[in-house]
Amino acid sequence: MFINKTMTRRVITIGPEAGILEARGKMEENGIRHLPVVDENNKVVGIITDRDLRSALPSVFSTCREDPKELQRISALKVGDVMNKKVTTISPMDTLEDALLLMHKSNKGALPVVDRDGNLKGIISTRDLVRAFINVLGIEEPGTLLCLVVEEKLGQMKKIVDAITEEGIPFGSILVARHWEKGKRAVFPYLLTVNVAKVKRKLENMGYTLLDPMEWSLDQTRKS
Amino acid sequence: MRRTGFLYDERFLLHDTGPEHPECSARLLAIYKGLEEAGLISKVRLIKASRADQAWIEIVHSIKLIMRFEEACLWGMNELDHPDNKMCRETFETAMLAVGGILHTVDLVMEGEIDNAFCAVRPPGHHAEVSKVMGFCYFNNVAIAARYLRRKWKLQRVGIVDFDVHHGNGTQNIFEDDPSVFYYSIHEHPSFSYPGTGRDFEKGTGEGYGFTLNSPVLPGWGDAEYKALLEKDLFPAFEEFKPEVILVSAGFDAHVDDDMSDIKLSTECFSWIMENIVGMADKYSGGRLISVLEGGYAVSRLSELARNHVEILLGSKA
Ligand SMILES: [Zn+2]
Repeated sequence: MFINKTMTRRVITIGPEAGILEARGKMEENGIRHLPVVDENNKVVGIITDRDLRSALPSVFSTCREDPKELQRISALKVGDVMNKKVTTISPMDTLEDALLLMHKSNKGALPVVDRDGNLKGIISTRDLVRAFINVLGIEEPGTLLCLVVEEKLGQMKKIVDAITEEGIPFGSILVARHWEKGKRAVFPYLLTVNVAKVKRKLENMGYTLLDPMEWSLDQTRKS
Repeated sequence: MRRTGFLYDERFLLHDTGPEHPECSARLLAIYKGLEEAGLISKVRLIKASRADQAWIEIVHSIKLIMRFEEACLWGMNELDHPDNKMCRETFETAMLAVGGILHTVDLVMEGEIDNAFCAVRPPGHHAEVSKVMGFCYFNNVAIAARYLRRKWKLQRVGIVDFDVHHGNGTQNIFEDDPSVFYYSIHEHPSFSYPGTGRDFEKGTGEGYGFTLNSPVLPGWGDAEYKALLEKDLFPAFEEFKPEVILVSAGFDAHVDDDMSDIKLSTECFSWIMENIVGMADKYSGGRLISVLEGGYAVSRLSELARNHVEILLGSKA
């Protein structure tokens, strides 16, 4: 899964010479929180976020708003003055997994996608990843999610998939969560059916534990 | 006592879903037996089904869907589009009879022949969308009735209460942009139950924004949480909307003994819900209420649930 399949191609950008009030206007208008800063050759020279703007602009409650000198100073501020010059970028031929790990590690909400020559090709943000995650979960199709706790040994998935397939039930997705109880995995089959009572009984009779929905979690790593 | 209609027809049993299917004809037999044993059959006005004029189906469903459904039956196919939707040669006719019977019941209520009614029909309807059958549902019985009330009876405001444990995606979808039909549903939270819609942020679209209301319920919850949600969400919404008729998508699958969900309602809570809906109909709709069967698969519980349901409609429950 390459970035160029998932990224947003139409990027809203701004130049380093633009005023920060213009940058704020662009963000508000487009409902975005990141603006890549590009030069006249569409090369990325920085990035500016809504957080950068918030620290540069005084709040509405601040008294310096009435101070004409302070106002003048703010209006004169340029994007180039407050932007982050050290940009974390990613290449169109990096993968979705690269983006997930890099965004997690660098704590960034968006990464400009830049080719080998430094040209801006797109942007990948949490918004794109959210969309991809919805697709992976298959939850836009009607279905029912189950959660089974299984021993971590070879062949378990086959048994589960076979048992469900024998009932003629199509799959929307199947997720496996690691870092569960030691030696165990949590398997989440998303079944495209309303008719789950029988297959639930069948799986229980095969010795699998159906986990109480109130205990479900994809992220056991965080708790510990 | 109120004059209550009871739509029931042995032809509803002809929709054969095959072995081991939860949406089976034993459900209706249990409902009828429940009323019979309680001596209610002589107290209600028994209504027989009549075949719907296809033009009324078309006020909700696409002609393409209607024709595909009929053709599949004629071909003798045993399912339509998905293994959930099992059928037989009689399924199309049964669905036509269900809709026709419900529309006839609507007429009886609107003409003042009866005050309210319970329609024990198969197949159920609330999952069915304009062009899509799903989740055991073919024609959206309640949606057709709501639009019929608008078109034929020129009502301005129709209120739908759906207490089936599954979200009525079909009904919501059909009326999401329509401010004249208020759709309220209480159901198991969509992350844990079919069909995966009915989240609390789904509130309608366009002009219909604010006329769809969902109360998702977490797995394991029961009477107390249901009552609290209905009091917080449904009661004030209908107080403001003031429906001229209330339609009920009556599904009994939230019962603790029903294994289609993780919700644990008692038999008494179903009575509490229905008493309150009847109360709202008295307050806003001149008592006009038509309840239509959706799900409910614990056959051993359906007799008592249906008996209580009808006694509350009659106003004879102690
Ligand atoms: Zn249901």
